[in-house]
Amino acid sequence: MKATRIAVLAALVVMLAASLAYAGPTYDRVMKDKACRVGLMANSKPAGFIDEKGDWIGFDVDIATELCRRLGVQMQKVQVNNKTRVTMVQTGQIDMSLANMTHKRERDKSIDFSITYFFDGQKFLVRKGTASSWQDLVGKKIASMQGTTSELNVRALLKELGDPDADKNVISYQNEAECFQALKMGRVAAWSTDSTLLIGYAAEAPGEFELIGDFFSNEPYGVGVPEDDSAWRDAINFALQDMWMDGTYKKIYDKWYGPESKWAFPLTDEIELWP
Amino acid sequence: MIKFWLEKTWVQYLLLTTIVGCIVFYWAYGFQSPYEFQWNVLFEYNTTYDKHFGLELLHGLLTTITISLISAALALLLGIFFGLARLSGFKPLYWLATAYVEFFRNTPLLIQLFFWYYAVPQLLPAGVRDWLYFDIDMTWLGMNIAFEFWCATVGLAVYTGSYMAEVIRAGLQSIPKGLLEAAYSSGLNYLQVLMKIILPIAFRNIIPPLGSEFLNNLKNSSLALVVGVAELAWTSQDVEALTFKGFEAACAASVLYLVTCLFTSAVMNAINRRLQVSNGMARGNLMDRCLDCCLAPAEKGYRNVARTLRRAERKRKLKRRAQAEVGLVPIWQVYVEKSFVLLLVVLKILFILTLLFILFKVIVALWGYNWSGVWENVRVLTLFRFPAPASETIYWGLGGLVLTLLMSIVVLAVSFPIGLMVGLGRASENQLFRIPCTAYIELIRGNPLIMVIFWSYFFIGVVRGGNYLDAITSATIAMTIFNAAYIAEIVRAGIQNLPKGQFEAAYSTGLNYWQTMRKVVLPQSLKQMLPAIVGQSVAMIKDTSLAYIIGATELTLAAQIIINRRTDLLFEIYTVIALLYFLMCYSLSLWARRLEHRLSPEQVRLEM
Repeated sequence: MKATRIAVLAALVVMLAASLAYAGPTYDRVMKDKACRVGLMANSKPAGFIDEKGDWIGFDVDIATELCRRLGVQMQKVQVNNKTRVTMVQTGQIDMSLANMTHKRERDKSIDFSITYFFDGQKFLVRKGTASSWQDLVGKKIASMQGTTSELNVRALLKELGDPDADKNVISYQNEAECFQALKMGRVAAWSTDSTLLIGYAAEAPGEFELIGDFFSNEPYGVGVPEDDSAWRDAINFALQDMWMDGTYKKIYDKWYGPESKWAFPLTDEIELWP
Repeated sequence: MIKFWLEKTWVQYLLLTTIVGCIVFYWAYGFQSPYEFQWNVLFEYNTTYDKHFGLELLHGLLTTITISLISAALALLLGIFFGLARLSGFKPLYWLATAYVEFFRNTPLLIQLFFWYYAVPQLLPAGVRDWLYFDIDMTWLGMNIAFEFWCATVGLAVYTGSYMAEVIRAGLQSIPKGLLEAAYSSGLNYLQVLMKIILPIAFRNIIPPLGSEFLNNLKNSSLALVVGVAELAWTSQDVEALTFKGFEAACAASVLYLVTCLFTSAVMNAINRRLQVSNGMARGNLMDRCLDCCLAPAEKGYRNVARTLRRAERKRKLKRRAQAEVGLVPIWQVYVEKSFVLLLVVLKILFILTLLFILFKVIVALWGYNWSGVWENVRVLTLFRFPAPASETIYWGLGGLVLTLLMSIVVLAVSFPIGLMVGLGRASENQLFRIPCTAYIELIRGNPLIMVIFWSYFFIGVVRGGNYLDAITSATIAMTIFNAAYIAEIVRAGIQNLPKGQFEAAYSTGLNYWQTMRKVVLPQSLKQMLPAIVGQSVAMIKDTSLAYIIGATELTLAAQIIINRRTDLLFEIYTVIALLYFLMCYSLSLWARRLEHRLSPEQVRLEM
């Protein structure tokens, strides 16, 4: 009886201690542990995905690996999705997130962002030959992902183009795979999100899908980092700029998005460089 | 000394109030967290998004209620049909009904919804598909009722229908054989036996479990979020995504679910009390009186109609008897009867032919599957190993089928003792244990599992101040908490089913509470509960598929990852995972049934 009581008390003390454990500033902790937990997508080609062999690869994965190498820490990959990528940074479960995340002011209220490391914009993906301009999609069903900025952008665009039912014509799915399936099955006429994602999926079935129209939003991707940790953010920013200056960035970019790659996507801008 | 004081009711209440007071005090003053609570997100108009999120949530609730009402009505029709078909002496119909019931009860609703949404339209001709996709759009009370809505509704109806069929079959079969024999031997014909003996008794057996199926259906409607229906759980996610105020949104959604479920179960309890013939259960609280008021006109109408029909029937009988005495049975009547028999035979043959045709089609389709493509992905489905050092610490990085099994085993092993303790607590007479246990059970049972998973995944970390749990762990925790509440209810029912004399006899021989429980009560009630607990385990294994939504790499997510890569394997992969789930659940169900049979062998199969 006494033993049980002691065990229960001990368990309580341990739980209390665990919950009170002090989560220190990220920079100090990462540098002390020499380990950095990086949030990456696992179902988004070509940013972060799992290939046939079961390896976790992609553009974001390579950038994260390079960042960690330059910071001299070991990378621990953590899977995030479009719902958890903000909260996990916010509550210190990961130290940075490279997860197709657009730098938005609303998001910046909860976490901080590095400089823009990738320039993307939103487009429509349609089955080949079914539509050629935005106007063709007015009044049609459009797929988008719940909880993304692209969902809001596409609603706004459709409303602007004169679709009174924009709210109900945009169907919000839980993840990209579901959106693509819905497009493939003909449930929706188009799927709208960041172009790189669309290119990634279109490459799955060459010749069947195409991107149409211009960008209708700018999507500057930033590395999500915990709020108010200037040292950590600086370290990442400097590493990103170093990567750009010595050409590593371009190499990685060409590997995934270069003209010869499966997901050809022209580099349209330069990342911010501080002298 | 402590025991003496603890037995006083006022001490129990005082202690409870103190504990609650301490928690409230801590929450209000001592609690620190990196998360900023902004409850006004629920009450204020958000100018950034041009929306009032509180109203959006209420609107979500409306959609939830609409979906569950329509699907429950459809499910009841399906349930009646297949429940009767399960009792049919016509074997092909019985086989069809059995296949329907077993298949849909033993595969997860999530997989079924995916199948209805993505795969089924591909089987239809293009014209029908376009009609489904584009022509059935409508807006009703601000709800967008389109293909998504109907897909979720029909999917739910088919799922719940299989449960209702079982409830109806069991209710009809629960009638003792002796009663039927007595009825037949007293000269009643089949229709009379059905109307006067079977249905009135079966009705009382059927309504209570039917009500709980209705409640389950309401909670299961939360899964409509995977096909993009803006119901309550979806809306709470939407608020989270737009404002990052997920804690507040989930609180509101949980409270709405809880209120809806508690209200529904209050109505159902009132109905159950009304149905009891009279076993001393007191009636007369507010709900009972409301129900009586609502039902009074219907009852009166029913009596009038029944009286008219009865009189007409009596008149017809008198006439027929007069004819028979003269010896005149019109020849057309004989022909009508003969042709009716012939028609029945033709219908049966047609039915068998249709069944054979469908079976043939299915076999052809299965034959044409790209099995080598499935074979390439079998390793991912069963042993999916996630290439992440951080997540390899959980269950050695296993995934797919193995992870599903591991999660199920852990959840079962942990939730059983918790459920046992909570169930005992709820059945205890000490308010100090009874009230918290009841609150826990009602809180969890009043919410869909998906909300519990959201809680443990997104928000426990928030409240604890940072340390988030990974998807697998938090799904396991959520399912344990959820499953324990259901097991607790089973335990409580088992204890309360024992005759009261047992407790008194045990106490009077000088056993204390724990000894009574361990030596007298639990052995008996556990034996009774065993089939129910195994049944709950089947439900739990199916529920592991919900971990998909927060991204735990169990069987469903592994399948989605494969489909994501190889969309041409859509049908193959869905079939394979449905079969895998089916095998797991069906073998357990069979075991549960064997147990039930062994523990109560006197039941017989009633044929109709």
